[in-house]
Amino acid sequence: MRREAIERHRAHRGGKVLAVLPIHYPKPLLTAMNVLAVELWGPPGPPRGVQAGRIQPYICPVVRNALAFLSHGPMELVDGVLFTNTCDAIQGLATLLPDLGDWHKPVMRCWYPVGERRISAARFLETELQALADRLAQLTGSPLDLDRLAWALDLHRQIDALRADILDRRAHLDLSDRELYALLREGEYRWPEDHLERLRSLHQRLAELPVKKGLPVMITGLVPEPMGLFTALEEAGAFVAADDYAGIGRRIVRQPPPASTEPWTDLVEWIYHYPPCSTQGGDLARRLAHLEERYQQGGCVGLIIHATKFCEPEAFDFSAIRKSFSARQRPVLYLESELEVELSGQQVTRLEAFGEMIAQKQGAQPC
Amino acid sequence: MLRRVRYELAGRVAFPLLNALSSWQRQLKRRGRKPRANPFGPPLDCVRKLRELMTAHYYVGRYAQGAVPVAWVTSGFPIEPLRALGFHIVYPENHSALCSAQHAAIDLLQAAEQEGFSGDLCSYARIDLGSALTGITPVGRLPRPDLLACCTNICRTVSYWYKNLASHFDVPVVMVDTPFVYGEAEPHHLSYIEEQLGELIEVAERIAGRRIDPERLERTMRAAWEGLVLWGECLQAGKAVPAPWTAIDGFFHMAPIVTLRGSEQCNSYYRMLRDELSDRVTRGIGGIKEERHRLLWDNLPIWHKLRKLSTLFAERGFNFVVATYTNAWAEAADLIDPAKPLESSAKAYTYVILNRDLEHRLASLKQLAQEYRADGAVLHSNRSCKPYSIGQVDLRSRLAQDLELRVLLLEADHSDPRLYTDEQIDNRIQAFLESFS
Ligand code: SF4
Ligand code: SF4
Repeated sequence: MRREAIERHRAHRGGKVLAVLPIHYPKPLLTAMNVLAVELWGPPGPPRGVQAGRIQPYICPVVRNALAFLSHGPMELVDGVLFTNTCDAIQGLATLLPDLGDWHKPVMRCWYPVGERRISAARFLETELQALADRLAQLTGSPLDLDRLAWALDLHRQIDALRADILDRRAHLDLSDRELYALLREGEYRWPEDHLERLRSLHQRLAELPVKKGLPVMITGLVPEPMGLFTALEEAGAFVAADDYAGIGRRIVRQPPPASTEPWTDLVEWIYHYPPCSTQGGDLARRLAHLEERYQQGGCVGLIIHATKFCEPEAFDFSAIRKSFSARQRPVLYLESELEVELSGQQVTRLEAFGEMIAQKQGAQPC
Repeated sequence: MLRRVRYELAGRVAFPLLNALSSWQRQLKRRGRKPRANPFGPPLDCVRKLRELMTAHYYVGRYAQGAVPVAWVTSGFPIEPLRALGFHIVYPENHSALCSAQHAAIDLLQAAEQEGFSGDLCSYARIDLGSALTGITPVGRLPRPDLLACCTNICRTVSYWYKNLASHFDVPVVMVDTPFVYGEAEPHHLSYIEEQLGELIEVAERIAGRRIDPERLERTMRAAWEGLVLWGECLQAGKAVPAPWTAIDGFFHMAPIVTLRGSEQCNSYYRMLRDELSDRVTRGIGGIKEERHRLLWDNLPIWHKLRKLSTLFAERGFNFVVATYTNAWAEAADLIDPAKPLESSAKAYTYVILNRDLEHRLASLKQLAQEYRADGAVLHSNRSCKPYSIGQVDLRSRLAQDLELRVLLLEADHSDPRLYTDEQIDNRIQAFLESFS
């Protein structure tokens, strides 16, 4: 599907394609410059290719997979790679690949400020974005048109509004979590206008009244992978009614800042309006308050902390999240999985037991 | 006021008295005891002074709370403004290393893990969080912070770690975010760092309740610069054959440049150490008795196994003469200009080895191996320090290929002893050492 989206982009829009390392990057800027972002969360399945062995197994699978992927065949599909400063692992990959590997295509980097918002950070972010726009202009051969940036921002506002509404009214959608996430994750590689179309059709399927049966739970983690988790969750009688995946919910601007006449300022503000994310190194209390709000909004009866093995930024937040939810007597399940491996029988059993436990607490039987 | 007096007295009166008493007790204990046979050269006289300096630092810290403002800082934090404002500075990383070296880490690691911190996270962070949660520390007591000061020039991990400390202590965290350097730092990255240093001063002034004195800041910068130069001179003594000390000694002797940087105590200590080392060079005294091979060490030390490892190598005539880790603290000297404290700090604190690309790291490894005439290298693949360990697989092959060095990639952890498998590691080391014969 990724290949098809890439070929379509090249054929229909004559645009360039960048492989992008997760999580946060200025997607509207890429859209404005006719650059398709294809995110590399690590193709599902075990790390492929000998190149994965260049990174020790105790470093997260996303970067090992990305290295393996970028170092052989499929890299021909993209025109360059964009690294973010999400974590130490990606920062390291951003030097390993070009400096000690065989990567000869353009390498771009975009650094978001770490920590809470400060005057220096906002100023830095704007300059960093402008520097990226210059590098993208070298790649595409045309400079950024500010009207296009305003258009792209508007497009992404529409996408986020639909994504937010679909997730917020999850119970009104007669679709399995697995199907829903597959659709939402198309945003990782589809051209945004195409993705918007698909979201519109999905949005039209929202029913007036709730149709989804089962226990509403909230889920937090890095990325909805392995997808077998949702099948197991469904079998345990629950569904995701509030999402805080870094790759999904934490990339939705729910209350966008009002548009001004200055697209650069709008882009900076847009970025500052993302929900709090473990990778930012910001205030934990702010993140906990956000989670609480989402939990209540989704009418959730339990929380699943879906940990990805060796993901440092995520792992540093789990203790506080667990404590905060447990203090409010909310059922919490901590489930650690490997990105590239389906859940084990034992993990599925834990999910089932969690479903039963919250059902009992609610005085209901899991459906 | 009373607390301030107690803090001052602790450093000037109580500690010297206690120290005199305990060194007298140590002497008594040692009297009549035969020195144990070992493969090392005679111990450095400075070791006693080092112990005294570091014990004093932690001892005085017990009385800092409420007497002076207290900051907990990451090891690469630009502390000069804080020192100029009279902060007592605590280095959690140094404290974690100390806990590990004194075999006091396991309970603290377990305490953090019970609290939900994964065993895969940086063991410095886990030890520190365990200590913050339980209050347990081998140094008696750590003063509670008024400010947490975090700089991302060593890793992003610290930003996640410090937000947990901020939440635990309910105190502000000030961030100096240093974008990773690929090739040369971008001008707007440097101005961002400089601007953050200005913001740091504003926050620190508020907490200290006074304005920074620019002359005092300049003096502190000058002292920090001098300390880095002196430390560099100590390290360079290792170029002599035989090297007058080992890089393993260096891991301990680097404590003042990390924790007391910018102070006269730190500099006078390094003057003493430098003189002692150059005297040993003149007299041909080596760090180990028989230096047959010279090795380079990359990454953090394995604090909990240092004695065992250094003995294992030294017994067979292998001396670690240089380490990227200790060298990192000497590299910045050239970039510091005391007359331009913020501007030059922005550069000096961003151009640190862990914040630079692998091309620079490889060049630096090669340069050190050549200058120190190393014929082998041990790259510690450090399980819970991801930033230092990424790229080592390639670095190993490049060093072996370009310099024809024998290179061992040794998997362990800097502070978590549970991640050290004796038999397996011993076998790997034996095989490595045999490859030299
Ligand atoms: S450490 Fe976590 S955030 Fe970073 S690349 Fe790996 S999985 Fe992603
Ligand atoms: S991750 Fe590495 S660099 Fe960062 S604090 Fe831990 S040991 Fe130090």
